Amino acid sequence: MKSLLSFTKKEFMEHFRSAKIIILTGVFILFAIINPMIAKFTPVIIEMLSESMQGGMEITAGEVTAMDSWLQFIKNAPMALIVFMLLESSIFTKEYQKGTLVLTLTKGLKRHTVLISKTFVMLTLWTAEYFMCYGLTYLFNNILWDNTVAENLTFMALNWWILGVMAICLSVLFSVIAKNNILVLAGTGGVILGSYLIGSLPKIGDYMPTLLMNSNPVIYGLEEVSHYIPAIIIAVSISVISVIVSVPIFNKKHI
Amino acid sequence: MDMLKIENLKKRFGDKEVLKELSLTVPEKSIFGFIGKNGAGKTTTMKTILGLMKPDEGEIFVNGEKVVFGQTSTNQYIGYLPDVPEYYSFMSPTEYLHFCGEITGLSKAERTKRADELLELVGLKGETHRIKGFSRGMKQRLGIAQALLNKPKLLICDEPTSALDPVGRKEILDILMAVKNETTVLFSTHILSDVEKICTDIAFLNEGTVAIQGKIGDIKSTYRTDEYIIETETEKELRVLTSAFTHLNQTGRTMLKFKENQHSLFEVMNFITDKKLPVLKIERVEPTLESMFMEVVKK
Repeated sequence: MKSLLSFTKKEFMEHFRSAKIIILTGVFILFAIINPMIAKFTPVIIEMLSESMQGGMEITAGEVTAMDSWLQFIKNAPMALIVFMLLESSIFTKEYQKGTLVLTLTKGLKRHTVLISKTFVMLTLWTAEYFMCYGLTYLFNNILWDNTVAENLTFMALNWWILGVMAICLSVLFSVIAKNNILVLAGTGGVILGSYLIGSLPKIGDYMPTLLMNSNPVIYGLEEVSHYIPAIIIAVSISVISVIVSVPIFNKKHI
Repeated sequence: MDMLKIENLKKRFGDKEVLKELSLTVPEKSIFGFIGKNGAGKTTTMKTILGLMKPDEGEIFVNGEKVVFGQTSTNQYIGYLPDVPEYYSFMSPTEYLHFCGEITGLSKAERTKRADELLELVGLKGETHRIKGFSRGMKQRLGIAQALLNKPKLLICDEPTSALDPVGRKEILDILMAVKNETTVLFSTHILSDVEKICTDIAFLNEGTVAIQGKIGDIKSTYRTDEYIIETETEKELRVLTSAFTHLNQTGRTMLKFKENQHSLFEVMNFITDKKLPVLKIERVEPTLESMFMEVVKK
């Protein structure tokens, strides 16, 4: 337990001193600002465009509500996750390439401690950064408009968070298999892309974790929350299994 | 008791057989020089001892306990310094030693005490800069400090002096000498003068097997060949000697070499005294590690 704590402390120290935390926080704050901004200024831009058009084609933009901002949130979430994964995908592989784990492991540190610690750090960062972004978007929307137009907001937010958790756990699995972070990104991205493609098929689609990407019907109140439950169960199972399977693989990895 | 025992270790990379039935015993409290050319299999052997590499065949015991590949409990007895040690370079040396102390379960008081002692020992006390900017020698010294942190029973150093300048090398050798009462030291090298300076035991690794091993004194005596050198003052005396003794080999302008079974030493000495020949020296040839190494490698 003590070694887990100290390894985790080292991970956070590394994140702070390499400015990764600052970059991540900056990016997630930026997304929180962009969401309402795009919603707010889209009609203005459209109006300007229509005015500049000769012949006077009349375009009337509908009234902007918090709903537009939340749709932006759902649209921008993949970008946020990609940035997160790009920054974090080398959390294991950098240690293999540099050889820094050799000394820590030959000191008797258990390999699963390293694995649990790194997974924990990534999940903590994702949770903190993501919900900060959600909270700020919520705050801005409340100031500019009224959040009550959208339904099931927390559920929508949880959906994307779970998908992020799954991506992180998959990246752990690929990190104990692969030697460099390109393969980690390719593996994680490949599984998600695969799920997305299979998701376009009619019946199976409801069971694919990538269903959680499309929360638009939920906030419009057009879809029941229960519709997403199988996909959530599958996403959580994939996450747990990925981490559990990683342990024996990591124990036998050449370092 | 043997601190380390390796039995019939085999390892192959592709079609290259790096270790061929390597067996080795390192006695407790020895400074063991593990000698071999580049590519002889020294690093492979060391990585296998640490469970970082899986052998194809063979067994290794550290402090009587069997080493398993991957997660191995035998590492608790070992302090390891790799050939190119890599640290978390965003830390200072004190932070790094504290981190190492924490993961090995030392208490805070112990950590502080050990870190202070060891940084003093390796000459890095008061160094507050991050490891990022360290020279090779500094990294190597920090490497020894981290390896000794939890008072290991076996200290394994992979070519600790190879990349260092003479001052850096001397520092490392002095440190290894200083810790010999606390721990068994196994270090690999191809610098024979280092071995001669500090080792009690040696093993020559050649083409994947141990060619010779044992106490350095014992090995030297088996390689001792009863060979003598005579250095005369001028060439004139040399000619007098060679005309009297047919088996004297001239090896230099005034240098002669012979073996006891060719001519008896006393016979030659008697002749020298009878003829009152001025000589500079008569010397028995001691086998050097270099000559032994060359002989082993040539076989």
